[in-house]
Amino acid sequence: MNVIRQPVVHLSQLKLSYPSPEGEVPVLNGIDLIVQSGEIVAVTGPSGSGKSSLIAVIGGLEPSSSGDAHVLGQNMAEQSERDRTLLRRRDIGIVFQAYHLVPSMTALQNAALPLTLAGRADADTVATRTLERVGLGHRLSHRPSALSGGEQQRVAIARAFAASPRLVLADEPTGNLDQRTGAVVIETMFELARTSGTALILVTHDPSLAARCDRTLMIEDGLVVS
Amino acid sequence: MSPEMSADTTAASGPGIVLRLLRAELGHGILGLRLFMVCVAIAGAMLGLVWLLSAGLSQAMQDNARRILGGDVAVTVVNEPMDPGTLAALGEIGALSRVVELRSTARAESASVSRRVTVELKAVDDAYPLIGAVELMSSGDFQAVVAVRDGVPGAVVEPTLLTQLGLGLGDTIQVGEVSFQIRDVIAREPDRLSAGTFMLGPRVLIPFASLEATGLAGRGSLMEYRARVRFPEGLAPAEGLEAVRAVEPERGWEFQSPDDAAERVRQVAGRTTTFLGVSGLAAFAIGLTGAWAAVAMWIGRRSRTIAQFRLSGATASTVVSLHVVLVSVAGLIALTFGLGLGVVGAWLLLDVLTEQLHLVWSFGDMGPSIVLVAATLALGLSGAMVAGLSGIAHLSPLRAMREDVPGAGPTRRSSAVAAACVAAAAGLAIIGLPNPVMAAAAAAGLSVVSALLVFLGALAARIAGRLPAESFIALASKQGMANRRAVMLRTLALGVGIAGITGVIAVQQSLDSAFRTQIPEKAPDLVLLDVQAPQVERIRQIVAETPALGGLQATPFMRTRMLAVNGVPVEEALVNPDKDWVIEGDRSFSWSAGPTGSELVAGEWWPEDYDGPPLVSAEEDVMQAFDLKPGDELTYSVLGRVFTSRVANIRKEYHRTMRPEFLVVATPNPFRDAPHGWIVSLQAEDPGSLDAFNAELVDFAPNVTSIDVRKLVVEATEVVEGAILGTLLIASALLLAGALSLAATVAADVDSRRREAVALSVVGATRREIALARLAETAATGLVAALVGGGAGLLASWAIVAGAIRVDWAPGMVVFFLPIALGVLTSVAAGLSGGLGALPRGRGQLMRLLVG
Repeated sequence: MNVIRQPVVHLSQLKLSYPSPEGEVPVLNGIDLIVQSGEIVAVTGPSGSGKSSLIAVIGGLEPSSSGDAHVLGQNMAEQSERDRTLLRRRDIGIVFQAYHLVPSMTALQNAALPLTLAGRADADTVATRTLERVGLGHRLSHRPSALSGGEQQRVAIARAFAASPRLVLADEPTGNLDQRTGAVVIETMFELARTSGTALILVTHDPSLAARCDRTLMIEDGLVVS
Repeated sequence: MSPEMSADTTAASGPGIVLRLLRAELGHGILGLRLFMVCVAIAGAMLGLVWLLSAGLSQAMQDNARRILGGDVAVTVVNEPMDPGTLAALGEIGALSRVVELRSTARAESASVSRRVTVELKAVDDAYPLIGAVELMSSGDFQAVVAVRDGVPGAVVEPTLLTQLGLGLGDTIQVGEVSFQIRDVIAREPDRLSAGTFMLGPRVLIPFASLEATGLAGRGSLMEYRARVRFPEGLAPAEGLEAVRAVEPERGWEFQSPDDAAERVRQVAGRTTTFLGVSGLAAFAIGLTGAWAAVAMWIGRRSRTIAQFRLSGATASTVVSLHVVLVSVAGLIALTFGLGLGVVGAWLLLDVLTEQLHLVWSFGDMGPSIVLVAATLALGLSGAMVAGLSGIAHLSPLRAMREDVPGAGPTRRSSAVAAACVAAAAGLAIIGLPNPVMAAAAAAGLSVVSALLVFLGALAARIAGRLPAESFIALASKQGMANRRAVMLRTLALGVGIAGITGVIAVQQSLDSAFRTQIPEKAPDLVLLDVQAPQVERIRQIVAETPALGGLQATPFMRTRMLAVNGVPVEEALVNPDKDWVIEGDRSFSWSAGPTGSELVAGEWWPEDYDGPPLVSAEEDVMQAFDLKPGDELTYSVLGRVFTSRVANIRKEYHRTMRPEFLVVATPNPFRDAPHGWIVSLQAEDPGSLDAFNAELVDFAPNVTSIDVRKLVVEATEVVEGAILGTLLIASALLLAGALSLAATVAADVDSRRREAVALSVVGATRREIALARLAETAATGLVAALVGGGAGLLASWAIVAGAIRVDWAPGMVVFFLPIALGVLTSVAAGLSGGLGALPRGRGQLMRLLVG
């Protein structure tokens, strides 16, 4: 029996522009992209080419201006902000270069947030396990201000993977880290993605990192060039 | 100096750098301080207005004390003029002026119509006024204007008399048996307040020499004979007062110095000035709290910029200097604008009020008060600035790179400096406001409440930290409380705002209630004064024959002078100095066969057939003056005879019926047969029957003063409603100041938590969930602030109302719900804006925060 695999992400002629005093500024100019489950895709391109904006549209953080964006079977254009938020809570993990941890919460509380939001009674247990997997089992009760940059990013990765999402989006996750720490972080992400079958879209400037992904998407001026 | 500030010698520093940075930052930086500027402007305007107004009024009364009194000393006797010997003795001490005041009726007679109006008649001699001048609309000389011309004496009147009688200048009015030509209109009467502020009708000034011919004297009219003395140069006031006291006649007199006159008027205005003082202090406290929160918010928003400055080589002192200058410029602009508004408002109001009170006032008198208000505001503002800006010096440059590096709070030293500035400002306010004791108590109370709010805020944060958190909302709200300093700041700002608003509204409500009690209720429609016994019988007959008239009550009216209580002279027996007026001169006295209808506080009425030695019923004021109780003995004189009577009961009069009320009421014997006048009150079903009665009264009782109470009630209501509106406007302005302060607190909170909200959104928290978490968190601080602030506000209002304003505490139910409502409102506002508003809605806005 043939099983028809539905892509995790299916973008077709996706466009995005931002308002400015001088008029609309086009950012994405017609992106076509399909990402399958378990696939690790690198997105590269010069600064300002639209990589982060692409992540934002897929993650439901920004609505597209036109075109189709189907994520995890949902047509994002038809979803309300609340629906997109709930989709993110259930099935999408996001890692940013700037970590975006809640400063007043401990590493454990930060990592457990998606599970807590989902009302999972085992939130702390699962989050503890995930933090142990990223090597932070000894830092559970530390707040972000007491952690190094690499540790904070690993907390952010644990948070992104804790709820076993079907898609993880990472926007230059090693941009703030030194090469050695960055390598540890990437290894952790790849390992988590491979073992859980999660699709991973990774924005990076690092050609060697892109080379380790299943395939690479090159973006320039809001268009996929290769 | 901090190590950072002293060690960094290679980095950019110095005034030049600050000026260069200032040029770049001035426009945009100050724009970010809009909320701070509004808070400062409102505090400046409110404190300026109420302080200058109350200080201006008090100062005007002090400056006008001799003018109000009409001389350096005034003595008053009633009904019978002073004997020539006493007057001659007074004349030897200094310049002497005699004035007689009485209530009478002015009539306008023509072929077709006869109108009459109750007037406050004042006959003045050639020396009047000894101090100041009577200002007339035509700017003419008063004595020349009222002089007899072609056998007709002149009169000057208040404009309302012309309106009420339909007359103009040159027309004549009949007062008693004399026709006076109206020659001018009074603009300002220098000693208008000498007889108190309650006037039954318009003022009419006539020459002293014409009074006798009116026939009003000696017909039972209540006449006050005043003699004023202006001391010659070289005679010390104390010596002059002693010399006047030495000539006091045996019958006694009411003695007043300028201080007495000013104090009496000040007591009348005391409620207003106290309310203004309280409102000013509350506005000041709320405004400063708002300013502090707004500066803290601005600094929080600029923390990355500040860190960037530091990273670029700016020393801590450069950055601090830059921000101090920015905030100072913004504060100065706001303060100048706000204080300017306050000065203009106080100027306009003082102009109107002093004109109504016939006081002389000049703008220059406000100078010292303006300086004091400006200094108080500047000091208070400096405290708020130090508290808000002190963290800058210790802000880590790392903040530019890492958002999670915590912002530094104020050091102990800067906290102490801020507290010292605010304490100094409070000290100036205490010295400068007209009621220093009340101001000191308010400042002390505010300090205690602030400390309590800070403590309870910290306690709430601590308790929240120990509570279990299973759900996201519980967890997020608990973590929101983890920043103890922020929770303490929010609780303090909210609590001070709620305390100020609750306190002032409760005082306003009590004043409102007290004002309303001044409106007579169950009042008769007509009160007739100075009615003689045969005229009472005639009036009874007319009322019996006229179905539209009724409710007639005739009460004997006499005067008494209290001499001793239980054999001790009244001066020594007095235990309550506030009630010393009961022993000054002649007071109201009546007799009654049975109960007068007043409420009894103690004792019992005598039986209607009582025939023993005279008993007396004393009014509550007499009881309070001497700690009097039934069974005590009161010695008093009536018509020159001295009586000693046992006190049968103590009565309470509510002073709002417009019916005659007496300080002492005695049994009928032997007073029934003594010569005395009567006060008659009656009611009418329609104005027409009252007018017809009045017209008939002129024929058989021209001496009788007829008071149309219905008109008085309308006038009193208008005055009271004006006063209520005034206090409401002040309370509303305070509410606005409070709302802005709370807005600053909420905005500060929203701003500082924006990135946290963004982080929560990234992991899938909806706006609603973030809002609910924030709501639960702010509700905790809102509850503490509402309970402590509301309780403190209510307690303070009770102390002010009962202790300083001295009216009944009647805050009304709304005041009890107000703190809760304010707490809930602020919590909901903070929760909704913190949750729903923290996440940007515009396209691309969220992305800027995420990747920025």
